[in-house]
Amino acid sequence: MPELTIAVAKGRLQDATLALLASAGAGVSSQDVSSRRLAVEDESGRYRFIFVKSADVPVYVEHGIADCGIVGRDILLESGTDLLQPLTLEIGRCRLVVGAPTGKLLNELGMLRVATKYPRIAAAYFGARGRPVEIIELSGSVELAPGLGLADCIVDVVESGRTFRENGLKEVEVIEESTGRLVVNRASYQLKAKPIASLISSLRSEISDLKYGD
Amino acid sequence: MDHTTEPLSEIPTGMRYYFGQEARRRRAVEATAMAVFDGWSYEEITTPTIDYYSLFEHGMGRAEAERAFRFTDNDGRLLALRPDVTSAAARAAATLFADRARPLRLCYAAPVFRERPQSHAEWRRESTQIGCELIGANTRVADLEVLAIVSEFLRRLDLEGNYSITLNDVGIFNGVAEGLKLDPTSREELRQLIDVRNAADLERFLASYVPARQAEAFAQLIQPSGKRESLDLARSVISNEQSRAALDGLESLWRILDSLSLTDCFEIDFGDVARLDYYTGLTFKIYVNGAGYRVGSGGRYDGLTATFGKAEPAVGFVVDLDALTDVLRVREGNSPSAHQLQLEKLELAGDENFAHSPGDPAALFLSALERRSRGERVSLSLAGKSTE
Repeated sequence: MPELTIAVAKGRLQDATLALLASAGAGVSSQDVSSRRLAVEDESGRYRFIFVKSADVPVYVEHGIADCGIVGRDILLESGTDLLQPLTLEIGRCRLVVGAPTGKLLNELGMLRVATKYPRIAAAYFGARGRPVEIIELSGSVELAPGLGLADCIVDVVESGRTFRENGLKEVEVIEESTGRLVVNRASYQLKAKPIASLISSLRSEISDLKYGD
Repeated sequence: MDHTTEPLSEIPTGMRYYFGQEARRRRAVEATAMAVFDGWSYEEITTPTIDYYSLFEHGMGRAEAERAFRFTDNDGRLLALRPDVTSAAARAAATLFADRARPLRLCYAAPVFRERPQSHAEWRRESTQIGCELIGANTRVADLEVLAIVSEFLRRLDLEGNYSITLNDVGIFNGVAEGLKLDPTSREELRQLIDVRNAADLERFLASYVPARQAEAFAQLIQPSGKRESLDLARSVISNEQSRAALDGLESLWRILDSLSLTDCFEIDFGDVARLDYYTGLTFKIYVNGAGYRVGSGGRYDGLTATFGKAEPAVGFVVDLDALTDVLRVREGNSPSAHQLQLEKLELAGDENFAHSPGDPAALFLSALERRSRGERVSLSLAGKSTE
């Protein structure tokens, strides 16, 4: 029986997450990674990994199905979940930004139309600044929206900035810097204190040695 | 999906039925709690299901009370479906029971309602709270009494070795925040960093107030909780008077728990800094293996009854019946024999129908009543000719 279940976000963060975990002594064999199984154990049998969509990592951890997980801060903020965040990891660095074609926010109608995969963050950001917005929730290719007239601007993550440039968008405002976070279920933190403390300390000593870029 | 008319099969979000084995299990857990409370001389109290919203706003704090279902009375006053029991119990202590001898010992098991649940994991909008209040005593013994009751209750549910109660005292955080002379915004920032155990950012935050070495040492305090040694660690880092006094209090509490051989299921957790405005001393959280969320919490709230006109110390706890029942159900599933103990009283003798002559209802009932008088379970066969 593995001591801990760790939720790993598929996609953008997966390779860096697995590399970091492996260097901290929680390695998944390459066969297991390339297989289509969504739940695998590490070589030591101490950890079980579940591979889930990044937005689902906070959900699995909040319910205690996974004891901990690694997920971008952008996803964590959007999820509105109540989780412990003992470590900031140097992986998946990106910026959550407001992007618009002209490089500034046109507000002639007194109402901005904002296309985003992050409706909660966008609403909170503009709400706190007293700007009325209409949030248009999309699930991908958000960069298209302003060019096609669906929205005046977008709220999205930017890594290199290439997708923005190629779709004629400029960063107008930076909302948050985001990197990967280790998130831990509140009950697991108490009930599985030893294995969690040991995972945290091996991850911490790894990130102080190494810097992971994207 | 759009419905032009509301289907009658629909159930409102966060509401549910209970039946069968689960309903029995809930009843058994509740009965266990009530037996323990009774054993410690606690008196059951049932508070109004509907009460003035202002009661809860004062009793729980606005942020918590705002999650209640609210509606207006005939005269326009705002009412709420009770989101907690403690508020009304504290009001009763200050009013109904103002002249009674102290300490007051009150206990309850009652449904509470929240229009907005606390978290995604907590989807229910109706849940049953089991808890007690010890009002009018601010001694170490009073704190211990409540902790002893929680422990006995969990042990009686056969959860020995499977639960963990974390202890803290709000005086530790308050002393530190005051020592740093934090404004309310920075104070809340500090609280949140501690609450999510973000050690690196906490260290950075503190480094702008105290020497780096001290900031690092303080950040160590929010590592996964520990036993007595945590108190020594805290003393080596924290020097202000208020925090020191709180640490001494925890120390003496710990010493007694230790002499009672109870410390296996207790931990010190300086990272527990929830609801600092509500609690005034000891705080604790109750975790049980198999539950992804804490099953209960408690502590000292000496400020509460003052709200209702009679200031006096109080300590108490509350556990969530559903969270506990879920854990017991899963444990029962894993090892069917392990958990039958506490359901014993509800395991009834076989339910086979007994022979009867269909034409003679009187004989049937004579036999049934006789079996019932022996405490046996009967289930009458109702097949046969209709009386119509």
